[in-house]
Amino acid sequence: MAEAAAQSTGLASIAKDWSSDVTTFKGVPWGKAMMWIFLLSDTFIFGIFLTSYMTVRATTAEAWPNPSEVFSLTLFGTTVPLLLIAIMTFDLITSSGTMALAVNYGYRRDKKKAVIFMLATAFFGFVFVGMQAFEWYKLISEGVRPWGNPWGAAQFGSCFFMITGFHGLHVSAGVVYLSIISYRVWRGKYDDTNFEIVEITGLYWHFVDLVWVFIFAFFYLW
Amino acid sequence: MSSDVGQQHPLALYFWIWGLLFVISAGSYLIDFFQVGYDVGTMELRWALILVFMFLKAGYIVAVFMHLKWERLALIYALLLPPGVLMVLVGLMAWEADYTWLTRVVYFGAEVAPQPAPVEHVIH
Amino acid sequence: MAQAEIPYQEAIPLHDPHSWITKYWFSQDHKVIAVQYGITAVAVGLVALVLSWIMRTQIGFPGMFEWITPDIYYQSVTMHGMIMVIYLLTAFLLGSFGNYLVPLMLGARDMVFPFVNMISYHVYFASVIILMLGYLPGMEGPTGAGWTLYPPQAILSGTPGADWGILTMLASLAVFIVAFTMGGLNYITTILQARTRGMTMMRMPLSIWGIGMATVLGLLAFPALFVSAIMMTLDNVLGTSFFMPAISSAGAEHEYEGGSPLLFQHLFWFFGHPEVYIVALPAFGVVSDLISVHARKNIFGYRLMVWAIVAIGGLSFIVWAHHMYVAGMHPYFGFFFATTTLIIAVPTAIKVYNWTLTLWRANIRFTVPMLFAIAFVLTFVVGGLTGLFLGNVIVDVPLSDTYFVVAHFHMVMGVAPILVIFGGIYHWYPKITGRMLNDTIGRIHFWITFIGTYAIYFPMHFLAIPRRYYEYNVGESAILTPSMDILNQSITITAYIVGIAQFLFIYNLIVSYRHGREAGDNPWEANSLEWRTPQTPPVHGNWGERLPTVHRWAYDFSVPGEERDFIPQDVPRKAQA
Repeated sequence: MAEAAAQSTGLASIAKDWSSDVTTFKGVPWGKAMMWIFLLSDTFIFGIFLTSYMTVRATTAEAWPNPSEVFSLTLFGTTVPLLLIAIMTFDLITSSGTMALAVNYGYRRDKKKAVIFMLATAFFGFVFVGMQAFEWYKLISEGVRPWGNPWGAAQFGSCFFMITGFHGLHVSAGVVYLSIISYRVWRGKYDDTNFEIVEITGLYWHFVDLVWVFIFAFFYLW
Repeated sequence: MSSDVGQQHPLALYFWIWGLLFVISAGSYLIDFFQVGYDVGTMELRWALILVFMFLKAGYIVAVFMHLKWERLALIYALLLPPGVLMVLVGLMAWEADYTWLTRVVYFGAEVAPQPAPVEHVIH
Repeated sequence: MAQAEIPYQEAIPLHDPHSWITKYWFSQDHKVIAVQYGITAVAVGLVALVLSWIMRTQIGFPGMFEWITPDIYYQSVTMHGMIMVIYLLTAFLLGSFGNYLVPLMLGARDMVFPFVNMISYHVYFASVIILMLGYLPGMEGPTGAGWTLYPPQAILSGTPGADWGILTMLASLAVFIVAFTMGGLNYITTILQARTRGMTMMRMPLSIWGIGMATVLGLLAFPALFVSAIMMTLDNVLGTSFFMPAISSAGAEHEYEGGSPLLFQHLFWFFGHPEVYIVALPAFGVVSDLISVHARKNIFGYRLMVWAIVAIGGLSFIVWAHHMYVAGMHPYFGFFFATTTLIIAVPTAIKVYNWTLTLWRANIRFTVPMLFAIAFVLTFVVGGLTGLFLGNVIVDVPLSDTYFVVAHFHMVMGVAPILVIFGGIYHWYPKITGRMLNDTIGRIHFWITFIGTYAIYFPMHFLAIPRRYYEYNVGESAILTPSMDILNQSITITAYIVGIAQFLFIYNLIVSYRHGREAGDNPWEANSLEWRTPQTPPVHGNWGERLPTVHRWAYDFSVPGEERDFIPQDVPRKAQA
């Protein structure tokens, strides 16, 4: 039954997979299925954060500070809009790339390279959190607080600290998660498996990057 | 297609997508760098570009880096359909936000502020 | 083949307990965790019961006890509501029934991640402790904002518990959601990825469908509550203005500006309406199984029942604002949400028809679980019909915030699921402990509970007084007629009696554990896999060397031409002639 289901494609495969026994998601390990479902739930958390942000921003009659100017950096006398945010974005993409390579090497059973790329991912994640801390520091020293800011609607600071803070917590958790898993991979805990644990960790990490795409578009570019 | 064990794809593919993601990110950054929309005063083009780059980037991450493209349709649909209800919430909230804003302006006499507010930096 | 690489669950080792503490406290066995969830939920439910007595005493006999101040009254209302909805009903139906039934009914060894499952219970336990912190001396009591916790009043100082109570409430909810997420991920992954051979989705007992769909709803709806709890905490602690408009209270201007209380209501009900079905769907599923087993008849329209559960699950996300008709939301929303609300009544009605048609001309055994199941259908119909009144904007406006609403939701999602919980406990207690519950006590418990709850909630429909009032007759301005007072008093006295009857049930649970009649493996002659374990009660790992193989659905009762009137799911089909 399972083999017949695995061979079908298209819409028929959906019906066959869902009506088969034992597993619904063919070839998906338990941990990976669980991570995907968790990420779906987490999507709703960030989705509702962003929806709330949209609502308070669209309903406020006060002026909303221009993020392009708020997050600009002045280097060598020229003010570049959103510079730090752009660097953070590129940093996060870099980490996504190294994570993808780690997953690939994991499935090739190249343990050493997988661990190295996971640690590189964790490093870029750490750098991201560091830059975010600098961003918070800069804004706080300019007078932005969760309850108000010098330029306009109080909700600007509230949303900024809440959403980037929650995303930053996810990145930090990801760094810890990556460190633990890479240590365990190195120690040989998963030698009997296909190293799908690397892919599961990778799913989480890519999700964190994914959330940043939406935060970047809706918070910084709006 | 995937081979026996897990997800195995040529490394070149990852490098291509990786590069593409850099290009797309640069694109969405350039929207702000050139102040698209603010220079002419209408935001349609800006929003179109923001959304196109956003969905392109998100799509490539989910499809290739998270390997969803190679998963079976049963999983793909199970993951992509539920956020639809989130879209209902977003749509209704966006619709209602206009109404709330209107009531605030009409009944509370709130002054309509020009968007966006100018920012003066205190320190650099 | 890719899945050949994944070890089948028979090969996966279990964490066997080595000491008392790993066997009964830090246990990774889903059956122990289910009982832990159950005991905690019942214990906290008893607190809610006492709280309901306090508020009924105040309504029936105002001023009789001086210590029931307005603060105590509102705190009791709030805590009663929150405990019943979240910490009793959700925790019991998913945490206890879900944990116990999912692996057993699917023929699995355990949940897919027993360790996460164990943590889930302990985090839930922590959330209960945090919830109760408000009652500690020096905390000035839990919040009295009403279980919906609407800002701005939930945060402002006039509300009891505005200092610590609201914070412990929000923290407890956030912790509960973490616990639920860990448990819920386990249930879903087990249902989707760890069924036994032959167990297709369309052979799963309806209990599993109900529990599974409710868990999906929980995983997608609880984020809304989680996020609003975070935002409300920030409003309270840091003075952000997500939900708080510019406001002055007690003569003082607050620093809040420009927040949207309406946003909280939307987020709360975006969680809150699916929450109704998180409670109702497992009850639907369990009651379908109870009715089928004790009526000795296959469930009428199994496929339709499944699709009704799926349809209700999907629709439950787009009906939320029918709780907000008088909140001042966008005026066009009423049309949209009234329409979707009436649409969701269709699959619900289909389920009621199917239960009724299952009973039609069936060989009904009036066991205690069956009595509770039938009582559920009756109560649910009454509560559901009043929902049609409240779903229509024009009818809802005058009924808002009256005892009509109280009667509606207590019947449909208070009493009805609780009746199923009782029915389920009477049904599965023999499997959990190996002994039957005392039948006589069970029948006394049933009749007092069933008639009593009707006597409490049915009159409320035409009592037609506003709810959440501490006192109706103040000095000259008496707004209740003497007959209304009598009705209120009789409701209160009935509430005492029904409450005391629940201690009869707990007495039954305790005594039967040692002295109940030996149950045997399958006392109800049921078909689903949990009755086919090699041992009763099932041991850790549930099954012997090999997992069972499923050959049929769970509803082969009274099949013509068979010797017995039931054929368990793991009995092979006869070769076709």
